[in-house]
Amino acid sequence: MRYITFALAKGRLAKQTLGLLEKIGVTCEEMKDEKTRKLIFVNEELGFKFFLSKATDVPTYVEMGAADIGVVGKDTILEEGRKIYEVMDLKRGKCRMCVAGPASARELLNNGSLIRVASKYPAIAKDYFYNKKHQTVEIIKLNGSVELAPIVGLSEVIVDIVETGSTLKENGLEVLEEICPLSARVVVNEVSMKMQHERITKLLKELKEVV
Amino acid sequence: MSEANRTGTELLHTPGGVRDIYGLECLRKLTLEKKAHEVMTSYGFHDIATPTFEFFDIFSRERGTVQSKEMFKFFDRGNNTLVLRPDMTPSIARCVAKYFKEETMPIRLCYTGQTFVNTDKYQGKLQEVTQVGAELFNDDTSDADAEMIALVVDCLLKCGLKEFQIEVGHAGIFKGLVEEAGFDEEAAEELRRLIVAKNFFGVEEFLEELTVAEPLKEIFVKLPELLDDLSENSAYVRERTTSNEVLEALDRLEKVEEILDIYGFSEYITIDLSMLSGYSYYTGVIFRAYTYGNGEALATGGRYDKLVKQFGVDMSAIGLVLVADQMMLALSRQNLFEDTRLGGTILLYPPENRDKAIRFAEEHRKNGKVVRLLRKSSKKSLEEYKAYAERMGAEMLLYYEKGDEPEVCQLPELRR
Repeated sequence: MRYITFALAKGRLAKQTLGLLEKIGVTCEEMKDEKTRKLIFVNEELGFKFFLSKATDVPTYVEMGAADIGVVGKDTILEEGRKIYEVMDLKRGKCRMCVAGPASARELLNNGSLIRVASKYPAIAKDYFYNKKHQTVEIIKLNGSVELAPIVGLSEVIVDIVETGSTLKENGLEVLEEICPLSARVVVNEVSMKMQHERITKLLKELKEVV
Repeated sequence: MSEANRTGTELLHTPGGVRDIYGLECLRKLTLEKKAHEVMTSYGFHDIATPTFEFFDIFSRERGTVQSKEMFKFFDRGNNTLVLRPDMTPSIARCVAKYFKEETMPIRLCYTGQTFVNTDKYQGKLQEVTQVGAELFNDDTSDADAEMIALVVDCLLKCGLKEFQIEVGHAGIFKGLVEEAGFDEEAAEELRRLIVAKNFFGVEEFLEELTVAEPLKEIFVKLPELLDDLSENSAYVRERTTSNEVLEALDRLEKVEEILDIYGFSEYITIDLSMLSGYSYYTGVIFRAYTYGNGEALATGGRYDKLVKQFGVDMSAIGLVLVADQMMLALSRQNLFEDTRLGGTILLYPPENRDKAIRFAEEHRKNGKVVRLLRKSSKKSLEEYKAYAERMGAEMLLYYEKGDEPEVCQLPELRR
C-alpha cells in the first residue's frame, strides 16, 4: 500500500485536526509525545504519514505532491494562491479577514484616496482593494503585530484576521470592512485525488461525519 | 549581485525557472521525446514547426491556457507586443486557418517544442518546458476522440510508464446542467469554482441556498461519485435531466468508452462526469493523464471546436499535449529508466596505429555502432583513460596497442 501523507499547519489547528482524525480511527501515537524531535510520523498499519509545517508552507507541500492532503486556514490558501483542491471546510478556527483601522479612517475607504495598507497578507489585500473595491492603494508587507501600523502612523488601515476583535478594541481600532469569512480547510493534491481516489474520498466522507 | 558586474563564477548561473540539461538526463529526455513523436507519426501525424514567439493576440484570454500576466512579453521595432509561446495549440490553429482553409477532410499535425510561462519566483516550477503534442482537425467523430485518448495511452506506455490513469470527461455536461438549472453567471461561476476545487460538500451547501429543481440538485450533489461505471452513472443523470447538451455529451462518452475498449486501453481510463477544465476553449471531450510521483498532470487535451473559428475558419479540432519534463520526473521517481550509461565505445590508439584505428572505427560506425576516437598521449597512463571512459559513461574502452584487433579494457564500474 502506498502511504498517504498529511501536511498539518503547526499549532492549535494541528491538534484539532488530529482530534478529528482520531474520531474516525486515524491515529498517530508517535505524534502525541510532545518531547519528540521527529519531523515525520508514521502509522504503518493504516499507511499514513504525518508531518507538521509552517502554515504558509502547507499549500506548497500539497501542490508539489510532497503531501497528499493538507489542513490549513483559508487565509493561507487565499494568500498563497496555489493550484490545489480545496475539498472541505472543517468549520474549525472560524474568523474573518477584515480591513481595520481607527474609526477616522472609514471615510478614506469611501472616497478612493490613495492610502497605505499594512498586512501580513499582501495578495489578499491587493485582490480586495484592486479587484473588488477598485481603489488604488499602497500595500506594505509586515510579518506580525500588524495592529501597530496605524497606531504609529505606518499605514492608514490594516488587513488582518479578526477573531473576536478584542485586540483591535484595546488599541483603539475597529473593523471597517469585512473581506471574507475564514476557517480551516482540507486541501488535496490534484494527482493524489485521482491516483488514491478511493482511500481519500473514504477518508473525507468519514471526516465530514465528525466535523 | 548587480547585473552589470557579473564576472567569473557569477556568470555560471541561469535565471530561476530555467535550467541546463546535459549528459544522461539529456539523452533520456531526447529519447523520450523521440519515442512519443514516433508514436504520433505512426498514427499519421505530420510535423509542424511554428515560431517560438508570436503576437500577443494569438494567445490572449479566450484562445490561451495561460493568463496574460504569466506570459513573457516584449516589443518588436514596430512596438507590437510579442510573447514567448505559453502553449502551442493557438499557433497550430492559426496555421491551419492559414494553410488549410479550403480543406474539409481531416488534417493531422504534431509538434515538439519549448513553451514558456512567467510564473512567480520560488515556486519550484519550471518556466520553460518541452511539450510534445498532436492536433487533429476536421474530424468531429467519437472515433477521433477515442483515437486521441488512445494515442496518449500509447505514448505513455511506449515511453516506459506502467501505472497511470487517464481521466476523461466532457465540457458539455457542466455547461448543459448549469443552463438547465438557470443559474446566473455569478452562481454558475461559484459552482464551477467549487467543482474545480473538488469541494463537493461545499457544492451541497451552496445548492441548499438556491432554488434548483430537485433532480438537478441530485445530479450536482452526486457528481463527484459519478466515475468509473459509466453506464450506471449515465443512467442516473439521464433520469434527471432533459438538457440536450448533457444527453449528447453522455452519448458521446459512452461511444468513446466503447471504442477505447476496442483499443484494449480500458484499464487506463476513468470516466469522470464531474471533470471540468480550467480552460474556456474546450467544447467537448476533455482528458488528463496522471501518475504517481508527480504533483501535476503528465498530459492534457480535449476537443476545442470553436478555436479555429476565431482565426476565421470554422473547423472542428481535438488536441493532446504531453509535458516531457513531467514525464521525466515520473519516470525517474518511479525508477523506470533502464539505461544507466551514455554508452558508446572509446577507441584509444597510439599515433603509430592511427590508420588501423580509423579503419576500425569507420567499419563499426557503418554497422551503426558508436565509436569515439582518442589518440593516446604518452604522458597519460591506461588507468587514467579507463577512469575517463568511466566518467564519460562509455560502454567499452578499446585499446589498439598492437596487433590486428584492439584489446578490451575493463572499466571499473562495469566490472561489477
